[in-house]
Amino acid sequence: MFERFKTTSCLAAIVCAGMASSAAAQEFPQQPVNLVVPFNAGGGTDLLIRGFAPAFAEALGGNVYVSNMAGGSGTVAAGSLAEEDPDGYRLGYWSMTVATVQPQIKDVPYDKDSWTPICSIAASPMILFTNAGSPFKTIDDAVEAVKDEPGRYLFGSSGPGAMTHLAAVAAFEGLGVLKDVRHLPFQGSGPALQAMAAGTIQFYADTEILMNSGDFRPLVVFAPERLESYPEVPTAAEAGIEPPLAELDLWGGLFAPHDLDPKIRDQLSEACGKAVASDEFQAFAERTATVLNYRDAESFDVFFRKQYDDNKVLIEAAGL
Amino acid sequence: MLNTLPEALSIIFTLEGLLVLVLGTFLGIVLGALPGIGSTVAVAMVMPFTLTMGQAPAILLLLAIYAGSVYGGSVSAILINTPGTPQSAATCFDGFPMAQRGEAGLALGWATVASIIGGVVSAIVLILAAPTLAAFALNFGPIETFALVLLGLTCIVSVSEGSMLKGLIAGTIGLFLAVVGGDPITGEARFTFGQFQLLAGFDLLAVVIGVFAITEVLMRVSGPLDSSNRLTDFKGVVLPRFRDWSGRVKVLVKSVLIGNGIGILPGTGAATAAFISYAEAKRSSPNRAAFGRGEPDGIIASEAANNAVTGGALVPTMALGIPGDAVTAVMLATLTLHGITPGVRLMSDNPVLMGAIFTGFLLINLILLPLGMAVGKIAAPILRLPEAFMLVGIVLLSTVGVYFVRGNPFDLLVMVTAGIFGFILRRQGYPMAPLVIGMVLGPTLEISLRQGLILTNGSFGAFYAGHPIALVLGMITIVMLALPAVNRMRARQGADS
Repeated sequence: MFERFKTTSCLAAIVCAGMASSAAAQEFPQQPVNLVVPFNAGGGTDLLIRGFAPAFAEALGGNVYVSNMAGGSGTVAAGSLAEEDPDGYRLGYWSMTVATVQPQIKDVPYDKDSWTPICSIAASPMILFTNAGSPFKTIDDAVEAVKDEPGRYLFGSSGPGAMTHLAAVAAFEGLGVLKDVRHLPFQGSGPALQAMAAGTIQFYADTEILMNSGDFRPLVVFAPERLESYPEVPTAAEAGIEPPLAELDLWGGLFAPHDLDPKIRDQLSEACGKAVASDEFQAFAERTATVLNYRDAESFDVFFRKQYDDNKVLIEAAGL
Repeated sequence: MLNTLPEALSIIFTLEGLLVLVLGTFLGIVLGALPGIGSTVAVAMVMPFTLTMGQAPAILLLLAIYAGSVYGGSVSAILINTPGTPQSAATCFDGFPMAQRGEAGLALGWATVASIIGGVVSAIVLILAAPTLAAFALNFGPIETFALVLLGLTCIVSVSEGSMLKGLIAGTIGLFLAVVGGDPITGEARFTFGQFQLLAGFDLLAVVIGVFAITEVLMRVSGPLDSSNRLTDFKGVVLPRFRDWSGRVKVLVKSVLIGNGIGILPGTGAATAAFISYAEAKRSSPNRAAFGRGEPDGIIASEAANNAVTGGALVPTMALGIPGDAVTAVMLATLTLHGITPGVRLMSDNPVLMGAIFTGFLLINLILLPLGMAVGKIAAPILRLPEAFMLVGIVLLSTVGVYFVRGNPFDLLVMVTAGIFGFILRRQGYPMAPLVIGMVLGPTLEISLRQGLILTNGSFGAFYAGHPIALVLGMITIVMLALPAVNRMRARQGADS
């Protein structure tokens, strides 16, 4: 009796184990995949990922849901995900600042080696701009004015260490006048844009869609080539900013905790590529003026590590 | 704007338009009443559903949720002494004492009418004067904001019942809590003790729910629990009679103006408006002696002001395309997703849509009345549950609400710790209101002061010079602080002679 029970349970165990392993190998998403947005619901990043999730779910052949975990400029979510098991069911969408800048300026529990990069999704060019009524018609006018009256002009940011801060630093440091302009941080883009409209600050850097919300004049754009919408605005390199400062790039992509099974990684990365290429998501990106830039897991890994080191120059210039 | 009205009305008076207004407002009231789910979370929760709707219904749904949730926060503040949203915290002070006296229905009636008047007036101001007011608000730079917030801090003095010293200590604790986390200017970590979770600071909502809801539950559990006891006796909303308004109109008008004005200005918000308005009413109302013990003027001041903020916050949003707060930021994002570029040309480029939005916003505030009464009818049987069940329910709802906001378990720890800490403080006679005021105003006070110092190159002397608005606000602050002392001296002299 006992023997027979042992035999059957042995058999059952073998059969079950076999089924489980074949299931794991063949159909990865056995449960919904969670995309973690490290900022509040309703912000730019949140919108992008909520637009991306349906296309990603379709490409992956499983369910995908978005959750928000805000705080600490995105580091709370990243720090929490870094400590989880890499099973592929929880992925974070980190921007360039969350992934490469914050861990080098703050004491957070993650760094360059905490991740399995999956894919990059977006890369929106940053634009340095001034008021439409300002006497500065070009970036050269601005540099000259700053040199004439050191300490008079201010640039704003949405917070210390934010992309808006780093982009302005990259521009002024690259043009050799960073010490002559002052930095006024705000809490978020809204108050900073209001201060621009009021003339409290003269310069601000943000993405094209935010710049279009007011009467502003673009001075220089951080992109490899000039923008179609502003063909007269020079790129950072044309304005005389040298690399790596000129290569500033507001990218964002999906990350899993490190040591994710390469098979699952490639499956996720492939689905991500399909989702980015889908008509649905392309239309979404056009509506929101998002520039898409897909990289697969391998090239994103190389890119991410190079960015991590390159951005040290920027962090130093910003005095963070 | 008026010539597009017929077309605008034809957008609203469709089945979809009306359904969105009614259901959205109702849902907003319910979400606002749930502790922890504030306006920002409520609007963000609903936002994904608007992606498949038309432009006007999408924005109207968000507006309905916004206005409804600001009102809904008062329901739980009055009935269970747990502010559904931080901006309803000041409603607890007089709302709950009234409810304990058996006048819960009437307290909600005052809150309902005050909310509606605040909302309707702010909607009319928005429709008539948005561009002008938005242009004026641009005069409010960091130095003016600092002066205003400093004035707001003086309300700690008027809400410190019992001991002034204990009130000031509680206020200082609140200001200190706001300092924990990343430095807003340099980004450095402050008072985090190596805990990276603290880099983000203490979440305002977790602390507010902790010191109000959890502390209240602990206070009740520590007393004798009678299983037949009810938390409050509530049968439904009772509207105040017309003649009961005599002597209260001045408080109402002042509160609406304060709320609307603060809503238009950048950098502050509904919680600040409600506290400042409450403090002003407590200073100047003819019924000020009864404040804190269930005085309708206290409810009117808080609720008229926080609903008047809604229309105010929409002024810079619609006229300049610059969000006044987190809620309006979600609305601008929704406009963008529907292919509309928010910005200075928003109103002139989309007159019909804007007409529909503005008219709809006015309607939303009007239907708050029947919907508020309906929610009261639904809430009444729940409140007839024995107190023990209610207390468990409050803890459960608070836990879910606080976790939901940022999805961070650490916030629950903050909520429970704040609750225990608040319980100990309240047992020693420390009021909780100053603590919350300190925490609400602290971050704005700090960043505006430090921005101002950057602008003046570190000179405190240059602070008020050349900033007439700030100068006037600064002088009012001094008068507010000196008045009680002067009055006391006068009273003493009068007694001597």
